[in-house]
Amino acid sequence: MNKSLTQFLLFNFASIVCLACASDYKHMRAVEPDATCISKLAPRQFSTSWYHASVDVIGKHISGLLLIKNMPDSAYRIVFTNEAGVTFFDFGFSRDGKFNVYNIINQLNKGPVIQTLRKDFELILGLPFHTKISQAWTMDDDVFYGVTQKKETAYFITSKDCASLRRLELGSSRKRKVTVNITGQPYPTPDKIEIVHNTFDMQIKLTRFEKE
Amino acid sequence: MSKNNSLHRFLLTMLFCVFVTSVDAQYAGYKPVSDLPSFKKKFATESAKVKSITSDFTQEKILMALTEKITSTGKFWFKRENRVRIEYIKPFAYLMIMNNDKMLVKDNDKENKINVKSNRLFQQVHRIMIDCVQGTILDSKDFTTRIFEDDKVYLLEMTPSSRALREFFQTILLTVEKNDYSVKTIEMNEPAGDKTIISFKNKKLNEQVADAVFAL
Repeated sequence: MNKSLTQFLLFNFASIVCLACASDYKHMRAVEPDATCISKLAPRQFSTSWYHASVDVIGKHISGLLLIKNMPDSAYRIVFTNEAGVTFFDFGFSRDGKFNVYNIINQLNKGPVIQTLRKDFELILGLPFHTKISQAWTMDDDVFYGVTQKKETAYFITSKDCASLRRLELGSSRKRKVTVNITGQPYPTPDKIEIVHNTFDMQIKLTRFEKE
Repeated sequence: MSKNNSLHRFLLTMLFCVFVTSVDAQYAGYKPVSDLPSFKKKFATESAKVKSITSDFTQEKILMALTEKITSTGKFWFKRENRVRIEYIKPFAYLMIMNNDKMLVKDNDKENKINVKSNRLFQQVHRIMIDCVQGTILDSKDFTTRIFEDDKVYLLEMTPSSRALREFFQTILLTVEKNDYSVKTIEMNEPAGDKTIISFKNKKLNEQVADAVFAL
């Protein structure tokens, strides 16, 4: 009886471990990249926009205003303030993608926080897709166009008929780390952007608004 | 040689003039209040007469380096003691209610109730806001204050004393109406050069304001 129970528990544990190890990208099949679709849907431009931002991190909630500004020299500046106007951070990406922290409050000035936000903004600005995209895969009804950077790959994912951009993802070879859903008006002025971290509890929702 | 000396003198004079002008121009049109103790006493007495405020407001956030400005509008309520409601209406919805030591913050997605005492920064921001509208800001240990005036308003230049507040504000400038001692504008200047200016309009003082306005 005890032996059966032990076997049952071991089997369950092994199943859970296997499931946890299963690759999110296991069923992707490599295909030839469609250059026309890449030039049509790759998110390579982002117009200056103001967003209302809602951030949930490990049970904590903050909101504020996020400005994404396309500078005259094609660089980007990203400024997050609270509704009353106090600036929390001011980041910049130069034309060649170099990241710069212009200003950040002490409470947020932590390496992992800055690196997480840097990667999130790089993805929504489509900076990884400024290089030549030479990899594509299909999975279910989606086509994944990917650019590998160090140990991670940034994807923009389209429908099979290339009618629309479905989402963006950042993943390791096995794990989907970040998913970016875009709804409403598409790039270069996306209406709603939802950034979901799949490996820890963090979600950022951006809703575009017009200035008065 | 003498030509060079003249040129140096000319440049030095110009530099001196520019320097003097920039110091004077810090608050153009204002002069320092001469009788400070008398002002403080009058300010405390007159402010204490304001039991409630209902007002519209316009807030401008100016990002200097990015040449960007965002303007928002909303409604403001104050009721003595220690109750403030700030409701942003356009171009986004955001509500903040301060009721003694409790605070409610509501955005599009969520409603958060905060015990101000549990967070020192919240406590300070809360205190500043209440002190500004309640007329007790001159008693605050959080700031050193210089006071100027013109014909219509007093200008209170508040410089944070604590490092925590200095991270957010270089100075806070408050203009106070001379006729009723109510706050006209609040200008928050950040260390990086950005600023936020809140201007109050259609102010109604000492009208009936229901307690329900500040319900959390």
